[in-house]
Amino acid sequence: MVHDMIVIEKMGKPGVAIVSGRFESDAVASSRAFGMPDLQWIVVPHIYRNLDPETCRTQTEDAIDDLIGSLTTSIDARENAESTDTRRYEGEDRHDSILKMNQEFINEDLGDGLFLHPATKEAVDEMLTGTHLSPGHAVCDMPPGFGVATVEKIAINSVMAGAKPEHLPVVIAAVKALSKLGGQGGKSLLMSTSPQAPLLIVNGPLTKQLGLNPGSALGPGRDNQVNTLIGRAFALCFRNIGHWYLNKMDMDTIGTSRKFIQCIAENEDASPWAGFHVDQGFAADESTVSVFVTDGELDVQDQGNHTAEGLLKNLAYGSTFGTMNLQSARSGQERLILMPPDVARPVGSQGFSKQAAKEFIHKHANASVGKLMQYMPLEGEARVHNHWKWLENLTEDQLLEITVPIMNDAKDCYILVVGADRAKTGVFPSGPAPVTEGIDQYKA
Amino acid sequence: MHLLEVNNPVAIQRGVLNAVSASNRPTSLDDKTVGLIWSGTHGGDIALKRAGEMLQERFENVNVNFYTGGNYPTPPAIVQQAGEECDVIIGATAD
Repeated sequence: MVHDMIVIEKMGKPGVAIVSGRFESDAVASSRAFGMPDLQWIVVPHIYRNLDPETCRTQTEDAIDDLIGSLTTSIDARENAESTDTRRYEGEDRHDSILKMNQEFINEDLGDGLFLHPATKEAVDEMLTGTHLSPGHAVCDMPPGFGVATVEKIAINSVMAGAKPEHLPVVIAAVKALSKLGGQGGKSLLMSTSPQAPLLIVNGPLTKQLGLNPGSALGPGRDNQVNTLIGRAFALCFRNIGHWYLNKMDMDTIGTSRKFIQCIAENEDASPWAGFHVDQGFAADESTVSVFVTDGELDVQDQGNHTAEGLLKNLAYGSTFGTMNLQSARSGQERLILMPPDVARPVGSQGFSKQAAKEFIHKHANASVGKLMQYMPLEGEARVHNHWKWLENLTEDQLLEITVPIMNDAKDCYILVVGADRAKTGVFPSGPAPVTEGIDQYKA
Repeated sequence: MHLLEVNNPVAIQRGVLNAVSASNRPTSLDDKTVGLIWSGTHGGDIALKRAGEMLQERFENVNVNFYTGGNYPTPPAIVQQAGEECDVIIGATAD
Protein backbone atom coordinates (compact mmCIF):
# COMPACT_ATOMS: atom_id res chain seq x y z
CA MET A 1 0.00 0.00 0.00
CA VAL A 2 2.96 2.33 0.61
CA HIS A 3 3.95 1.70 -3.00
CA ASP A 4 0.42 2.54 -4.22
CA MET A 5 0.28 5.75 -2.17
CA ILE A 6 3.61 6.87 -3.61
CA VAL A 7 2.17 6.40 -7.10
CA ILE A 8 -0.77 8.60 -6.07
CA GLU A 9 1.53 11.25 -4.60
CA LYS A 10 3.53 11.32 -7.82
CA MET A 11 0.27 12.18 -9.60
CA GLY A 12 0.12 15.31 -7.42
CA LYS A 13 -2.61 14.01 -5.10
CA PRO A 14 -2.22 13.49 -1.33
CA GLY A 15 -2.21 9.81 -0.43
CA VAL A 16 -2.29 8.42 3.09
CA ALA A 17 -1.98 4.76 4.13
CA ILE A 18 -3.61 3.28 7.21
CA VAL A 19 -0.92 1.16 8.87
CA SER A 20 -1.31 -1.31 11.74
CA GLY A 21 0.93 -1.70 14.79
CA ARG A 22 4.38 -3.07 14.04
CA PHE A 23 3.99 -2.27 10.36
CA GLU A 24 4.92 1.38 10.98
CA SER A 25 8.63 0.55 10.77
CA ASP A 26 7.84 -1.30 7.54
CA ALA A 27 6.18 1.89 6.24
CA VAL A 28 9.29 3.91 7.13
CA ALA A 29 11.56 1.44 5.34
CA SER A 30 9.25 1.03 2.34
CA SER A 31 8.82 4.77 1.83
CA ARG A 32 12.60 5.07 1.60
CA ALA A 33 12.93 2.03 -0.65
CA PHE A 34 10.32 3.31 -3.07
CA GLY A 35 11.62 6.87 -3.23
CA MET A 36 9.40 9.04 -1.03
CA PRO A 37 10.68 9.25 2.55
CA ASP A 38 8.11 11.99 3.30
CA LEU A 39 5.09 9.81 2.54
CA GLN A 40 2.34 10.14 5.14
CA TRP A 41 0.53 7.37 7.02
CA ILE A 42 -1.44 6.94 10.20
CA VAL A 43 -1.08 4.10 12.68
CA VAL A 44 -3.84 2.01 14.29
CA PRO A 45 -3.09 -0.50 17.04
CA HIS A 46 -4.14 -3.84 15.54
CA ILE A 47 -3.97 -5.64 12.19
CA TYR A 48 -7.48 -5.46 10.74
CA ARG A 49 -7.80 -8.76 8.95
CA ASN A 50 -8.62 -10.95 11.96
CA LEU A 51 -10.58 -8.34 13.97
CA ASP A 52 -14.34 -8.36 14.43
CA PRO A 53 -16.15 -5.66 12.38
CA GLU A 54 -16.97 -3.45 15.36
CA THR A 55 -13.32 -3.26 16.44
CA CYS A 56 -12.37 -2.45 12.85
CA ARG A 57 -14.68 0.55 13.02
CA THR A 58 -13.74 1.80 16.50
CA GLN A 59 -9.98 1.72 16.00
CA THR A 60 -10.49 3.68 12.78
CA GLU A 61 -12.65 6.23 14.61
CA ASP A 62 -9.89 6.71 17.17
CA ALA A 63 -7.45 7.59 14.40
CA ILE A 64 -9.65 9.97 12.40
CA ASP A 65 -7.99 13.19 13.69
CA ASP A 66 -4.58 11.87 12.64
CA LEU A 67 -6.00 10.95 9.25
CA ILE A 68 -7.46 14.40 8.66
CA GLY A 69 -4.22 16.00 9.80
CA SER A 70 -2.11 13.96 7.41
CA LEU A 71 -4.41 14.89 4.50
CA THR A 72 -4.60 18.63 5.23
CA THR A 73 -1.35 19.66 6.94
CA SER A 74 1.85 20.60 5.14
CA ILE A 75 4.63 18.06 5.53
CA ASP A 76 7.94 18.42 7.30
CA ALA A 77 10.66 16.42 5.66
CA ARG A 78 11.69 13.34 7.61
CA GLU A 79 15.31 13.19 8.65
CA ASN A 80 17.40 10.65 6.82
CA ALA A 81 20.50 9.44 8.58
CA GLU A 82 23.67 10.05 6.60
CA SER A 83 25.84 6.99 6.13
CA THR A 84 29.61 7.19 6.27
CA ASP A 85 32.16 5.13 4.40
CA THR A 86 34.05 3.95 7.47
CA ARG A 87 33.49 3.33 11.18
CA ARG A 88 36.10 3.49 13.93
CA TYR A 89 36.37 1.54 17.19
CA GLU A 90 38.93 2.15 19.90
CA GLY A 91 39.75 -0.67 22.31
CA GLU A 92 42.47 -1.70 24.71
CA ASP A 93 43.80 -4.05 22.06
CA ARG A 94 42.70 -5.43 18.66
CA HIS A 95 40.47 -8.06 20.23
CA ASP A 96 38.73 -5.44 22.38
CA SER A 97 38.15 -3.11 19.43
CA ILE A 98 36.67 -5.97 17.40
CA LEU A 99 34.31 -6.77 20.27
CA LYS A 100 33.23 -3.13 20.35
CA MET A 101 32.61 -3.21 16.61
CA ASN A 102 30.54 -6.35 16.98
CA GLN A 103 28.47 -4.86 19.77
CA GLU A 104 27.66 -1.74 17.76
CA PHE A 105 26.83 -3.72 14.62
CA ILE A 106 24.48 -5.95 16.57
CA ASN A 107 22.89 -2.93 18.27
CA GLU A 108 22.20 -1.46 14.81
CA ASP A 109 20.98 -4.87 13.53
CA LEU A 110 23.68 -5.05 10.85
CA GLY A 111 24.56 -8.66 11.63
CA ASP A 112 22.95 -12.08 11.99
CA GLY A 113 23.66 -12.43 15.70
CA LEU A 114 26.91 -14.35 15.20
CA PHE A 115 30.45 -13.00 15.42
CA LEU A 116 31.32 -10.64 12.55
CA HIS A 117 34.78 -10.41 11.03
CA PRO A 118 36.11 -6.84 10.76
CA ALA A 119 35.93 -5.53 7.19
CA THR A 120 39.18 -3.57 7.28
CA LYS A 121 40.47 -1.95 4.11
CA GLU A 122 43.11 -4.66 3.80
CA ALA A 123 40.58 -7.47 4.19
CA VAL A 124 38.21 -5.91 1.66
CA ASP A 125 41.04 -5.34 -0.83
CA GLU A 126 41.97 -9.02 -0.54
CA MET A 127 38.36 -10.07 -1.01
CA LEU A 128 38.17 -7.94 -4.17
CA THR A 129 40.94 -10.03 -5.75
CA GLY A 130 38.25 -12.67 -6.23
CA THR A 131 36.65 -10.75 -9.11
CA HIS A 132 37.74 -8.77 -12.16
CA LEU A 133 35.01 -6.20 -11.53
CA SER A 134 35.88 -2.77 -10.14
CA PRO A 135 34.79 -1.98 -6.57
CA GLY A 136 32.41 0.75 -7.72
CA HIS A 137 30.65 -1.42 -10.29
CA ALA A 138 26.92 -1.55 -9.50
CA VAL A 139 25.76 -5.15 -9.92
CA CYS A 140 22.08 -4.33 -9.34
CA ASP A 141 19.64 -2.69 -6.94
CA MET A 142 19.06 -5.44 -4.40
CA PRO A 143 15.50 -6.06 -3.25
CA PRO A 144 13.47 -5.68 -1.19
CA GLY A 145 14.94 -2.30 -0.12
CA PHE A 146 16.75 -1.68 -3.40
CA GLY A 147 20.12 -0.81 -1.96
CA VAL A 148 22.77 -0.18 -4.59
CA ALA A 149 24.76 -3.42 -4.71
CA THR A 150 28.25 -2.31 -5.64
CA VAL A 151 30.98 -4.92 -5.80
CA GLU A 152 32.64 -3.18 -2.85
CA LYS A 153 29.54 -3.48 -0.64
CA ILE A 154 29.20 -7.16 -1.57
CA ALA A 155 32.88 -7.66 -0.71
CA ILE A 156 32.53 -5.88 2.65
CA ASN A 157 29.64 -8.10 3.69
CA SER A 158 31.48 -11.18 2.44
CA VAL A 159 34.46 -10.31 4.63
CA MET A 160 32.17 -9.88 7.62
CA ALA A 161 30.79 -13.38 6.97
CA GLY A 162 34.26 -14.92 6.95
CA ALA A 163 34.12 -15.83 3.27
CA LYS A 164 37.19 -16.06 1.02
CA PRO A 165 38.00 -14.27 -2.25
CA GLU A 166 37.20 -17.36 -4.33
CA HIS A 167 33.68 -17.30 -2.88
CA LEU A 168 33.02 -13.73 -4.01
CA PRO A 169 31.91 -14.53 -7.61
CA VAL A 170 29.23 -16.88 -6.23
CA VAL A 171 27.96 -14.18 -3.90
CA ILE A 172 27.91 -11.56 -6.67
CA ALA A 173 26.02 -13.92 -8.98
CA ALA A 174 23.51 -14.77 -6.25
CA VAL A 175 22.89 -11.08 -5.51
CA LYS A 176 22.32 -10.50 -9.22
CA ALA A 177 19.99 -13.49 -9.45
CA LEU A 178 17.89 -12.26 -6.56
CA SER A 179 17.34 -8.94 -8.34
CA LYS A 180 15.83 -10.85 -11.28
CA LEU A 181 13.45 -12.92 -9.17
CA GLY A 182 9.73 -12.38 -9.79
CA GLY A 183 8.31 -8.90 -10.22
CA GLN A 184 10.82 -6.32 -8.98
CA GLY A 185 12.83 -8.99 -7.23
CA GLY A 186 9.75 -10.61 -5.77
CA LYS A 187 9.82 -7.77 -3.27
CA SER A 188 6.32 -8.31 -1.88
CA LEU A 189 7.12 -11.94 -1.13
CA LEU A 190 10.40 -11.11 0.58
CA MET A 191 8.57 -8.61 2.81
CA SER A 192 5.85 -11.11 3.66
CA THR A 193 4.55 -12.06 7.08
CA SER A 194 5.27 -15.69 6.05
CA PRO A 195 8.76 -17.19 6.39
CA GLN A 196 9.98 -17.03 2.81
CA ALA A 197 13.77 -17.35 2.60
CA PRO A 198 16.25 -17.79 -0.24
CA LEU A 199 18.20 -20.99 -0.77
CA LEU A 200 21.24 -20.97 -3.07
CA ILE A 201 22.16 -24.02 -5.15
CA VAL A 202 25.37 -24.16 -7.19
CA ASN A 203 25.97 -26.34 -10.25
CA GLY A 204 29.00 -26.97 -12.41
CA PRO A 205 32.75 -27.48 -11.97
CA LEU A 206 33.05 -24.75 -9.33
CA THR A 207 31.22 -26.87 -6.77
CA LYS A 208 34.23 -29.19 -6.41
CA GLN A 209 36.81 -26.42 -6.77
CA LEU A 210 35.26 -24.56 -3.84
CA GLY A 211 34.49 -27.63 -1.76
CA LEU A 212 30.73 -27.15 -1.60
CA ASN A 213 29.01 -30.14 -0.04
CA PRO A 214 26.34 -31.85 -2.19
CA GLY A 215 25.65 -34.59 0.37
CA SER A 216 24.06 -33.84 3.73
CA ALA A 217 24.35 -30.25 2.64
CA LEU A 218 21.98 -28.26 4.84
CA GLY A 219 23.31 -27.75 8.33
CA PRO A 220 26.34 -26.79 10.40
CA GLY A 221 29.78 -28.34 10.76
CA ARG A 222 33.06 -29.05 9.00
CA ASP A 223 31.60 -30.61 5.88
CA ASN A 224 29.33 -27.65 5.32
CA GLN A 225 31.78 -24.86 6.06
CA VAL A 226 31.86 -23.51 2.50
CA ASN A 227 28.08 -23.92 2.15
CA THR A 228 27.67 -21.91 5.33
CA LEU A 229 30.20 -19.16 4.57
CA ILE A 230 28.87 -18.37 1.09
CA GLY A 231 25.30 -18.51 2.33
CA ARG A 232 26.15 -16.25 5.23
CA ALA A 233 27.89 -13.75 2.94
CA PHE A 234 24.77 -13.62 0.79
CA ALA A 235 22.56 -13.27 3.86
CA LEU A 236 24.60 -10.30 5.14
CA CYS A 237 24.33 -8.69 1.69
CA PHE A 238 20.60 -9.29 1.88
CA ARG A 239 20.46 -7.41 5.18
CA ASN A 240 22.83 -4.54 4.58
CA ILE A 241 22.40 -4.03 0.84
CA GLY A 242 18.85 -5.32 0.35
CA HIS A 243 17.80 -3.78 3.69
CA TRP A 244 16.06 -7.05 4.63
CA TYR A 245 15.91 -6.12 8.29
CA LEU A 246 13.40 -7.80 10.59
CA ASN A 247 10.36 -5.64 11.34
CA LYS A 248 11.40 -3.15 8.66
CA MET A 249 11.41 -4.93 5.32
CA ASP A 250 11.14 -8.49 6.64
CA MET A 251 7.75 -8.68 8.35
CA ASP A 252 7.87 -12.38 9.23
CA THR A 253 5.44 -13.53 11.93
CA ILE A 254 7.41 -16.39 13.54
CA GLY A 255 10.52 -16.60 11.42
CA THR A 256 12.59 -19.54 10.28
CA SER A 257 16.10 -20.90 10.64
CA ARG A 258 16.16 -20.99 6.82
CA LYS A 259 16.99 -17.29 7.06
CA PHE A 260 20.47 -18.40 8.12
CA ILE A 261 20.80 -18.84 4.39
CA GLN A 262 22.86 -21.70 3.03
CA CYS A 263 24.47 -22.31 -0.33
CA ILE A 264 24.54 -25.96 -1.34
CA ALA A 265 25.64 -27.89 -4.43
CA GLU A 266 23.71 -30.30 -6.59
CA ASN A 267 25.14 -33.82 -6.40
CA GLU A 268 25.69 -34.13 -10.14
CA ASP A 269 27.95 -37.19 -9.82
CA ALA A 270 25.16 -39.13 -8.13
CA SER A 271 22.40 -37.98 -10.50
CA PRO A 272 21.07 -40.05 -13.39
CA TRP A 273 20.13 -36.80 -15.13
CA ALA A 274 21.74 -33.58 -16.33
CA GLY A 275 22.23 -30.88 -13.71
CA PHE A 276 19.62 -28.28 -12.92
CA HIS A 277 21.68 -25.57 -14.65
CA VAL A 278 21.33 -27.52 -17.91
CA ASP A 279 17.53 -27.48 -17.41
CA GLN A 280 17.88 -23.70 -17.09
CA GLY A 281 19.70 -23.39 -20.42
CA PHE A 282 23.35 -23.40 -19.35
CA ALA A 283 26.11 -25.72 -20.58
CA ALA A 284 27.10 -28.59 -18.30
CA ASP A 285 30.63 -27.20 -17.91
CA GLU A 286 29.43 -23.75 -16.84
CA SER A 287 29.14 -22.92 -13.14
CA THR A 288 25.94 -21.33 -11.94
CA VAL A 289 24.05 -20.39 -8.83
CA SER A 290 20.27 -20.71 -8.64
CA VAL A 291 18.21 -18.73 -6.14
CA PHE A 292 15.09 -20.44 -4.87
CA VAL A 293 12.68 -18.87 -2.39
CA THR A 294 11.34 -21.48 0.00
CA ASP A 295 8.44 -21.25 2.44
CA GLY A 296 9.00 -24.33 4.58
CA GLU A 297 10.43 -27.82 4.31
CA LEU A 298 9.25 -31.37 4.81
CA ASP A 299 11.12 -34.68 5.03
CA VAL A 300 9.30 -37.23 2.84
CA GLN A 301 10.62 -40.53 4.10
CA ASP A 302 10.42 -43.79 2.22
CA GLN A 303 10.54 -47.10 4.11
CA GLY A 304 10.82 -49.74 1.46
CA ASN A 305 9.66 -48.73 -2.01
CA HIS A 306 12.13 -49.79 -4.66
CA THR A 307 10.16 -49.32 -7.86
CA ALA A 308 10.27 -45.93 -9.54
CA GLU A 309 6.49 -45.62 -9.44
CA GLY A 310 6.36 -46.50 -5.75
CA LEU A 311 9.06 -44.00 -4.86
CA LEU A 312 7.49 -41.23 -6.95
CA LYS A 313 3.95 -41.83 -5.69
CA ASN A 314 5.18 -41.57 -2.12
CA LEU A 315 6.96 -38.36 -3.05
CA ALA A 316 3.85 -36.98 -4.79
CA TYR A 317 1.62 -37.74 -1.79
CA GLY A 318 4.21 -36.16 0.49
CA SER A 319 4.03 -32.99 -1.58
CA THR A 320 0.30 -32.44 -0.95
CA PHE A 321 0.19 -29.77 1.72
CA GLY A 322 -0.29 -26.04 1.90
CA THR A 323 -2.92 -23.74 0.40
CA MET A 324 -4.30 -22.99 -3.04
CA ASN A 325 -4.06 -19.52 -4.52
CA LEU A 326 -7.58 -18.14 -4.96
CA GLN A 327 -6.28 -14.78 -6.17
CA SER A 328 -5.44 -15.98 -9.65
CA ALA A 329 -6.81 -18.43 -12.17
CA ARG A 330 -3.65 -20.48 -11.57
CA SER A 331 -4.23 -21.99 -8.16
CA GLY A 332 -1.14 -24.11 -7.88
CA GLN A 333 1.96 -24.02 -5.82
CA GLU A 334 5.56 -24.81 -6.68
CA ARG A 335 7.72 -27.52 -5.15
CA LEU A 336 11.49 -27.63 -4.85
CA ILE A 337 12.43 -31.29 -4.49
CA LEU A 338 15.89 -32.17 -3.15
CA MET A 339 15.97 -35.80 -4.20
CA PRO A 340 18.63 -38.02 -2.63
CA PRO A 341 20.61 -40.46 -4.78
CA ASP A 342 18.75 -43.44 -3.29
CA VAL A 343 15.56 -42.13 -4.89
CA ALA A 344 17.01 -40.56 -8.03
CA ARG A 345 19.09 -43.60 -9.09
CA PRO A 346 16.27 -46.17 -9.19
CA VAL A 347 13.87 -43.67 -10.74
CA GLY A 348 16.39 -42.83 -13.44
CA SER A 349 17.53 -46.42 -14.04
CA GLN A 350 13.93 -47.60 -14.45
CA GLY A 351 13.45 -45.35 -17.44
CA PHE A 352 12.18 -42.10 -16.03
CA SER A 353 13.71 -38.97 -17.50
CA LYS A 354 13.68 -35.99 -15.13
CA GLN A 355 10.78 -34.53 -17.10
CA ALA A 356 8.86 -37.81 -16.88
CA ALA A 357 9.42 -37.91 -13.13
CA LYS A 358 8.11 -34.35 -12.80
CA GLU A 359 5.02 -35.21 -14.84
CA PHE A 360 4.37 -38.29 -12.73
CA ILE A 361 4.61 -36.29 -9.51
CA HIS A 362 2.33 -33.60 -10.91
CA LYS A 363 -0.26 -36.18 -11.93
CA HIS A 364 -0.37 -37.81 -8.49
CA ALA A 365 -0.05 -34.77 -6.21
CA ASN A 366 -3.70 -33.82 -5.64
CA ALA A 367 -5.55 -32.53 -2.60
CA SER A 368 -8.99 -31.48 -1.40
CA VAL A 369 -10.13 -27.99 -2.42
CA GLY A 370 -11.98 -27.64 0.87
CA LYS A 371 -8.78 -28.17 2.82
CA LEU A 372 -6.59 -26.07 0.56
CA MET A 373 -8.89 -23.03 0.72
CA GLN A 374 -9.73 -23.18 4.43
CA TYR A 375 -7.12 -20.47 5.10
CA MET A 376 -9.19 -17.73 3.44
CA PRO A 377 -12.93 -17.50 4.15
CA LEU A 378 -14.61 -16.27 0.97
CA GLU A 379 -17.18 -14.06 2.67
CA GLY A 380 -15.97 -10.45 2.89
CA GLU A 381 -12.97 -11.18 0.71
CA ALA A 382 -12.38 -9.34 -2.56
CA ARG A 383 -9.24 -11.16 -3.60
CA VAL A 384 -11.04 -14.20 -5.05
CA HIS A 385 -10.40 -14.44 -8.79
CA ASN A 386 -13.45 -14.81 -11.04
CA HIS A 387 -12.16 -18.25 -11.99
CA TRP A 388 -12.97 -19.47 -8.44
CA LYS A 389 -16.23 -17.63 -7.74
CA TRP A 390 -18.20 -20.84 -8.28
CA LEU A 391 -16.70 -22.23 -5.07
CA GLU A 392 -18.80 -19.75 -3.08
CA ASN A 393 -21.97 -21.71 -3.87
CA LEU A 394 -20.78 -25.11 -2.60
CA THR A 395 -21.22 -26.72 0.80
CA GLU A 396 -18.21 -27.65 2.91
CA ASP A 397 -18.79 -31.35 2.18
CA GLN A 398 -18.83 -30.65 -1.56
CA LEU A 399 -15.64 -28.62 -1.31
CA LEU A 400 -13.90 -31.40 0.61
CA GLU A 401 -14.78 -33.96 -2.07
CA ILE A 402 -13.32 -31.98 -4.99
CA THR A 403 -9.62 -32.48 -5.58
CA VAL A 404 -7.23 -30.32 -7.58
CA PRO A 405 -3.55 -30.67 -8.51
CA ILE A 406 -1.16 -29.10 -6.02
CA MET A 407 0.85 -27.76 -8.95
CA ASN A 408 -0.62 -26.31 -12.12
CA ASP A 409 2.00 -27.86 -14.30
CA ALA A 410 4.91 -30.29 -14.16
CA LYS A 411 7.25 -27.36 -14.78
CA ASP A 412 6.33 -26.01 -11.32
CA CYS A 413 8.19 -29.00 -9.84
CA TYR A 414 11.97 -28.56 -9.60
CA ILE A 415 14.06 -31.69 -9.04
CA LEU A 416 17.67 -31.44 -7.91
CA VAL A 417 19.71 -34.40 -6.71
CA VAL A 418 21.16 -33.61 -3.28
CA GLY A 419 21.90 -35.70 -0.24
CA ALA A 420 23.58 -38.67 1.35
CA ASP A 421 22.58 -42.34 1.00
CA ARG A 422 19.00 -42.94 2.16
CA ALA A 423 15.59 -42.44 0.54
CA LYS A 424 14.63 -39.30 2.44
CA THR A 425 13.54 -36.52 0.10
CA GLY A 426 13.40 -32.84 1.05
CA VAL A 427 10.27 -31.12 -0.28
CA PHE A 428 10.08 -27.34 -0.07
CA PRO A 429 7.10 -25.17 -0.99
CA SER A 430 8.72 -22.58 -3.20
CA GLY A 431 8.15 -19.72 -5.59
CA PRO A 432 8.37 -17.56 -7.58
CA ALA A 433 10.26 -19.51 -10.24
CA PRO A 434 13.99 -19.75 -9.44
CA VAL A 435 16.57 -17.63 -11.24
CA THR A 436 19.90 -19.08 -12.37
CA GLU A 437 22.90 -16.83 -12.92
CA GLY A 438 26.26 -17.77 -14.42
CA ILE A 439 29.19 -17.38 -12.02
CA ASP A 440 32.17 -17.54 -14.38
CA GLN A 441 31.55 -14.01 -15.70
CA TYR A 442 32.30 -12.61 -12.24
CA LYS A 443 35.56 -14.46 -11.57
CA ALA A 444 38.99 -12.78 -11.43
CA MET B 1 45.14 1.28 22.73
CA HIS B 2 44.10 -0.08 19.37
CA LEU B 3 42.13 1.79 16.70
CA LEU B 4 40.10 -0.39 14.34
CA GLU B 5 38.72 1.14 11.17
CA VAL B 6 36.22 -0.90 9.15
CA ASN B 7 34.23 -0.25 6.00
CA ASN B 8 30.52 0.43 6.27
CA PRO B 9 28.51 -2.56 5.00
CA VAL B 10 25.25 -0.66 4.50
CA ALA B 11 24.32 0.32 0.95
CA ILE B 12 22.44 3.47 0.13
CA GLN B 13 18.98 2.80 -1.26
CA ARG B 14 18.11 3.80 -4.81
CA GLY B 15 14.91 5.33 -3.49
CA VAL B 16 16.88 7.66 -1.23
CA LEU B 17 19.20 8.66 -4.05
CA ASN B 18 16.22 9.48 -6.27
CA ALA B 19 13.81 10.68 -3.57
CA VAL B 20 10.91 12.96 -4.45
CA SER B 21 8.74 14.97 -2.05
CA ALA B 22 5.13 14.34 -1.17
CA SER B 23 2.54 16.58 -2.79
CA ASN B 24 0.99 19.73 -1.32
CA ARG B 25 -2.03 19.33 0.95
CA PRO B 26 -5.39 21.12 0.73
CA THR B 27 -6.27 23.20 3.81
CA SER B 28 -9.72 21.59 4.03
CA LEU B 29 -11.55 18.55 2.64
CA ASP B 30 -14.73 20.58 1.96
CA ASP B 31 -16.02 19.93 -1.59
CA LYS B 32 -13.35 17.26 -2.16
CA THR B 33 -13.62 13.77 -3.57
CA VAL B 34 -12.00 11.20 -1.31
CA GLY B 35 -10.79 7.93 -2.83
CA LEU B 36 -10.62 4.76 -0.74
CA ILE B 37 -8.36 1.98 -2.08
CA TRP B 38 -8.90 -1.45 -0.56
CA SER B 39 -6.45 -4.30 -1.08
CA GLY B 40 -9.24 -6.85 -0.72
CA THR B 41 -8.29 -8.27 2.67
CA HIS B 42 -10.73 -8.81 5.53
CA GLY B 43 -11.46 -5.73 7.63
CA GLY B 44 -9.73 -3.16 5.45
CA ASP B 45 -12.98 -2.34 3.67
CA ILE B 46 -14.77 -1.75 6.97
CA ALA B 47 -12.00 0.58 8.13
CA LEU B 48 -11.95 2.57 4.92
CA LYS B 49 -15.72 2.92 4.70
CA ARG B 50 -15.89 4.13 8.30
CA ALA B 51 -13.15 6.68 7.56
CA GLY B 52 -15.11 7.87 4.53
CA GLU B 53 -18.29 8.24 6.59
CA MET B 54 -16.49 10.28 9.23
CA LEU B 55 -14.94 12.61 6.67
CA GLN B 56 -18.40 13.22 5.27
CA GLU B 57 -19.60 14.05 8.79
CA ARG B 58 -16.69 16.42 9.48
CA PHE B 59 -16.59 18.30 6.15
CA GLU B 60 -19.10 19.81 3.73
CA ASN B 61 -20.01 18.20 0.42
CA VAL B 62 -17.47 15.35 0.48
CA ASN B 63 -17.83 12.64 -2.17
CA VAL B 64 -16.41 9.19 -1.46
CA ASN B 65 -15.29 6.75 -4.17
CA PHE B 66 -14.41 3.16 -3.26
CA TYR B 67 -11.88 1.18 -5.31
CA THR B 68 -10.52 -2.33 -5.12
CA GLY B 69 -8.26 -4.29 -7.39
CA GLY B 70 -8.49 -7.26 -5.07
CA ASN B 71 -4.76 -7.44 -4.49
CA TYR B 72 -1.65 -5.64 -3.37
CA PRO B 73 0.02 -3.82 -4.90
CA THR B 74 -3.24 -2.55 -6.39
CA PRO B 75 -3.39 -3.08 -10.16
CA PRO B 76 -1.83 0.05 -11.74
CA ALA B 77 -4.98 0.87 -13.73
CA ILE B 78 -7.02 1.10 -10.51
CA VAL B 79 -4.45 3.37 -8.86
CA GLN B 80 -4.37 5.55 -11.96
CA GLN B 81 -8.17 5.78 -12.04
CA ALA B 82 -8.34 6.72 -8.36
CA GLY B 83 -5.66 9.35 -8.79
CA GLU B 84 -7.49 10.91 -11.72
CA GLU B 85 -10.96 10.87 -10.17
CA CYS B 86 -10.17 11.95 -6.59
CA ASP B 87 -8.59 14.88 -4.74
CA VAL B 88 -7.13 12.80 -1.90
CA ILE B 89 -6.68 9.04 -1.43
CA ILE B 90 -6.68 6.77 1.61
CA GLY B 91 -5.36 3.22 1.34
CA ALA B 92 -5.40 0.17 3.60
CA THR B 93 -3.90 -3.29 3.30
CA ALA B 94 -5.50 -4.45 6.56
CA ASP B 95 -1.95 -4.95 7.86
